Amino acid sequence: MKKVLIAITLSALPAVAFADNIGSCGWGAKLFDGQKGVAPQVLAVTTNGTFGNQTFGISSGTSGCTQDGMVTSTWKTSMFIDGNKERLARDMAIGGGETLDSLAYLMGIREEHRAQFNRAAQQNLTRIFPSENVATEQVVVALKDVLYSDRILAQYAASI
Amino acid sequence: MANLLRALLFLVCLSGLTTPPAQASDYLDELTARSRELRLHERREWRRLLHYISNLARPGVHSLADAPGFFLARDGKTNPQAELEATLASFFSNAEETDDRQNPQCQFIARYAWLDRELAFDPARLPPQPCKRFHAWREALNPQGVTLVFPAAHLNNPSSMYGHTLLRVDARDQDERTRLLAYAVNYTASTSETNGITFAINGLIGTYPGTFSIMPYYLKVREYNDLENRDIWEYELNLNPKEIDWLLMHIWELGPVWFDYYFFDENCSYYLLEVLEVARPDLDLSSPFRWWAIPSDTVRAVVEQQGLLKRAVYRPSNATLILHRLGLMSASELALVNSMSRGRVSTEAPSFAALPPAGRARVLEVSHDYVNYLRATGRSPVGEPAALARELMLARSRLGAESGDPPVPVPEVRPDQGHGTARIAIGAGHRDGTDFVELRARPSYHELMDPESGYVRGAQIEFFDFALRHYGSGEGLRLEEFKPVDIVSISPRNDFFKTLSWKIDAGWARRRIESGAEPLVFEVNGGAGLARNVPDALHGGPLIYAFLEATARVDERIGRGFALGAGPSVGMIADLTPRWRADVHARGQRFFAGDTDNAWATGLRQRYTLNTNNALRLDVSRERQEKQSWNTVLISLYHYF
Repeated sequence: MKKVLIAITLSALPAVAFADNIGSCGWGAKLFDGQKGVAPQVLAVTTNGTFGNQTFGISSGTSGCTQDGMVTSTWKTSMFIDGNKERLARDMAIGGGETLDSLAYLMGIREEHRAQFNRAAQQNLTRIFPSENVATEQVVVALKDVLYSDRILAQYAASI
Repeated sequence: MANLLRALLFLVCLSGLTTPPAQASDYLDELTARSRELRLHERREWRRLLHYISNLARPGVHSLADAPGFFLARDGKTNPQAELEATLASFFSNAEETDDRQNPQCQFIARYAWLDRELAFDPARLPPQPCKRFHAWREALNPQGVTLVFPAAHLNNPSSMYGHTLLRVDARDQDERTRLLAYAVNYTASTSETNGITFAINGLIGTYPGTFSIMPYYLKVREYNDLENRDIWEYELNLNPKEIDWLLMHIWELGPVWFDYYFFDENCSYYLLEVLEVARPDLDLSSPFRWWAIPSDTVRAVVEQQGLLKRAVYRPSNATLILHRLGLMSASELALVNSMSRGRVSTEAPSFAALPPAGRARVLEVSHDYVNYLRATGRSPVGEPAALARELMLARSRLGAESGDPPVPVPEVRPDQGHGTARIAIGAGHRDGTDFVELRARPSYHELMDPESGYVRGAQIEFFDFALRHYGSGEGLRLEEFKPVDIVSISPRNDFFKTLSWKIDAGWARRRIESGAEPLVFEVNGGAGLARNVPDALHGGPLIYAFLEATARVDERIGRGFALGAGPSVGMIADLTPRWRADVHARGQRFFAGDTDNAWATGLRQRYTLNTNNALRLDVSRERQEKQSWNTVLISLYHYF
């Protein structure tokens, strides 16, 4: 079923969808698990529908968001990591990419230190992603550690 | 329900505020009189802001918005003047903004801005509200541009060609590398329904509220590119800062509003056009789509506006990237990806270590992406696919080399540049000893034999195709066939993408009965099958396919009133030149219940593309039904628009 995997809004399913307790503004948690079957997909897609989306401007603030659907600045980085773990691990392993660039931008890493950041992430992938179901907080803490232990990048450690 | 409650609450709140104090009341009278003089309620901008459209039969207008909270006058849905005057009155409210409630000036900030522009409000007599929430929101968006986003078709799912559109608000401090951080504005049917059939039916009759939502763009990219494997096209629009302001103010107004959602007309794409029209009032985008809004056609309408498109960016899906890179691989690399992604070969294996570093990087990356593809499509290759994906990436991080693979090439023809989705054809032919002329038409969308540029290979979705024929002798003019729906997905299989091809169609067609007459018979046909590119499954080339099909016919004129049949069909589609496509096919069906018969048909269809919107077709076939056989030859000119 096409939309089941993304349809569960946080308000309906807080504990399961975001065990990490990372905010999600009620836009629906993405569960990276299977969809199967042609017919339901056809129906859902032909009719260009998305199940279960929350309006903005009416919901009172979920953790991490304003009531008007904007991610608050203190949550931006963790929420980004939370929504992009697979892509981030991939970019870090390869040593660059759009998702890693976006993370570097959120962390305020200046252009001249990007290569160093990419390299540090690549070399420390095991530390940053110690297991396949690592919680977002752990990724954040590990990333901080990696930055602290780098002479040049230490200045950015406080920004996540 | 919650929306409705809030809307009602809001009305209750307002009713206490609509009578301003004496001096304000004088000023309100003055503003109202001026708005009448200027006939502001008749202006295009007002109509657009309130989503008024002309009534179909009666004179007058009605708004497409269905949330009562969107209107300030009791009859605001149908009375633009009353609504405008009630709106003016509401602006005198001195209600403080809270987390639950806004001052009307802020809640209807685009209306306020427009009326202020036209009537030049005196700040002393109508004090402007700070609207902190709106300004904080706008500041967080920090808009510099607006992009229309079109996720193209799913792999193996022609109906997704029908598509979806959303808007992206591009922030000032972002660039091409950080576009993921922008916000997406999405209009969808809002429901927690998870049953596709219930969802489809309710969507057709408009029982779901359609609402706008806003979320980080990276979530949408993940949803389309990684989970659904749809390529995304991003059309950056040329809007000036003022126009972007109007657009955002209006989206703000629409945040808590709902519209009844109808899949085929009042859908995502229709409302995005209406929002763009608020941004630039001289655009006329939505009116042609009032009754039938196909997302890809609405993209075309936007892109065709002189100077509105800045540029288009292509974002390939995970499946597209995998297929592209599989096509670049050597046989040994392919074998390694196949076994490594299924956990059968470890990253320590000698056959893997023997590869040069670039080859190892390629194998690890593609294996990883393929594991995630399998995961996302519910076919995990191992018990712990996430652990395997991580292991592959750890190995990749230790490698330090680059694969050097070129990026996925951008398709030469974008979805908005393919043939028009409506089609009309005239043809002449000869059937079973009689000459005929034919007129064929369909409102949408794409047939396998249509020019393929901008569309997905092997995917067909047609609605309401019909053919009229005039025979030189006997029969005269008759409806030859009418198919409300006809979907085919011929999706080539290879070692990695083990897709099932499928087809389904329903409609009326001429069937010969024992007497030799040919009544128009209702028929449903469906089938599943396999397809493969030859000689090499991973590269394009002729496509062979085979289906097992079943057919049900219902009509009182056929023996016993019905017929059930089943049988195989096979064929091959080949592009002899980029313009010239041929499809040779054969089908046999044994009707075993009801009106029994052994029927078969074989034929050759050919298309020659003249230009984007014109093509020639030559179809020849031989058929056998009820122990009678005949030939048909038909040459036609197809025009798309």
